Amino acid sequence: MECNQAQPLIPSYLDGELSEAQAAPLRRHLLDCQPCRAGAQSEKNMKRWFSATNAVAVPKGFAARVARRAFAGDTGEPRLEPSLTFVPAVAAALPGAATEASEDRALRFVLQVTAAAALIVIALSLGLRGLSLPSGTSLSATDGRAEIGVQKALERLDRMNQEEAAKAPAATSKTVEIQRP
Amino acid sequence: MEAAQVEDESLVRETLAGSQASFQLLVERYQERIFSLARHYTRNAVDVEDLVQDTFLKAFSRLDTFQGQSSFFTWLYRIAVNTILDGIKRRGRSPVNIVEDPEAVAAPGSTRVSGPSAGMERDEIARITHAVLGELPEIFRAVLVMREFEDLSYQQIADVLGISIGTVESRLFRARARFKDKLLQRHPEFGEE
Repeated sequence: MECNQAQPLIPSYLDGELSEAQAAPLRRHLLDCQPCRAGAQSEKNMKRWFSATNAVAVPKGFAARVARRAFAGDTGEPRLEPSLTFVPAVAAALPGAATEASEDRALRFVLQVTAAAALIVIALSLGLRGLSLPSGTSLSATDGRAEIGVQKALERLDRMNQEEAAKAPAATSKTVEIQRP
Repeated sequence: MEAAQVEDESLVRETLAGSQASFQLLVERYQERIFSLARHYTRNAVDVEDLVQDTFLKAFSRLDTFQGQSSFFTWLYRIAVNTILDGIKRRGRSPVNIVEDPEAVAAPGSTRVSGPSAGMERDEIARITHAVLGELPEIFRAVLVMREFEDLSYQQIADVLGISIGTVESRLFRARARFKDKLLQRHPEFGEE
């Protein structure tokens, strides 16, 4: 076996994935070839980085809890639309299926509806506020129109006062005095 | 067919017939391995438990689709990998997204790294390894975790990921090369001549 044939086989050899028919000539080559042997040693060294794992601690009662939820109809799918949750036939057919998971789903549903309602109220109030608050140039235009309107009304009232005064000089005291802005 | 597989299939049948106890036995049989897998993707214990729970709940809801063509473990493991990756993405905690075609990456060089120093504590080794793994594209991290931590065979990895054994080999080759490069970027002291 040549080095260019041996090197690609080294990782599979160290993973125990080669048949004896493939592994035997590679072993012979590694005995004879120092550079390939060093390469194989380096691959073995690299594997040592993956050897440090701590024991897995499974929470007590996990399996029983999961089995209970599964038979209550919890499918483990993303819980965005709990009302559309698929309930397997085997779970649905069982008596007393409404348990912990059903209560959780109901609570989640209520919370989601509440959150959605709150969002709608906020969005509506922001939208209404936006409608009632004209921006930049339209603000001054509206104010201008309002100012012109008030001016005309005042002038009209002045005219009415003067007409009233002309008709009945004794009633001058009743003239409506308007403070101009 | 192995005895464990026969027993798994029997438990599946009993579960489908309505036996909660049989499903609980299936969970007990594989919970440690699925917890172990999830732990390589997130260090948050609550997230790990949620992901493992979702894996088993999804498995239960799809149990009638299990055909017995692959082993129950491989079938469950595939659900676990997808659930964990989806869950991590949904939580926005995936440190690395695939931004390249891993199969198109140029062949790695002959980078060599030493193993952990003799005096290093297990926790320190695990911390470095997980930090480096966290920098790898998901597709590389997945094969390394399955092979190096979970000791899955090439065939099992191929079945879980739905790829050929040849692709598993080439992906592992590149994943290891990338792992070495990232390790040396963080810790040049572990380089070898």
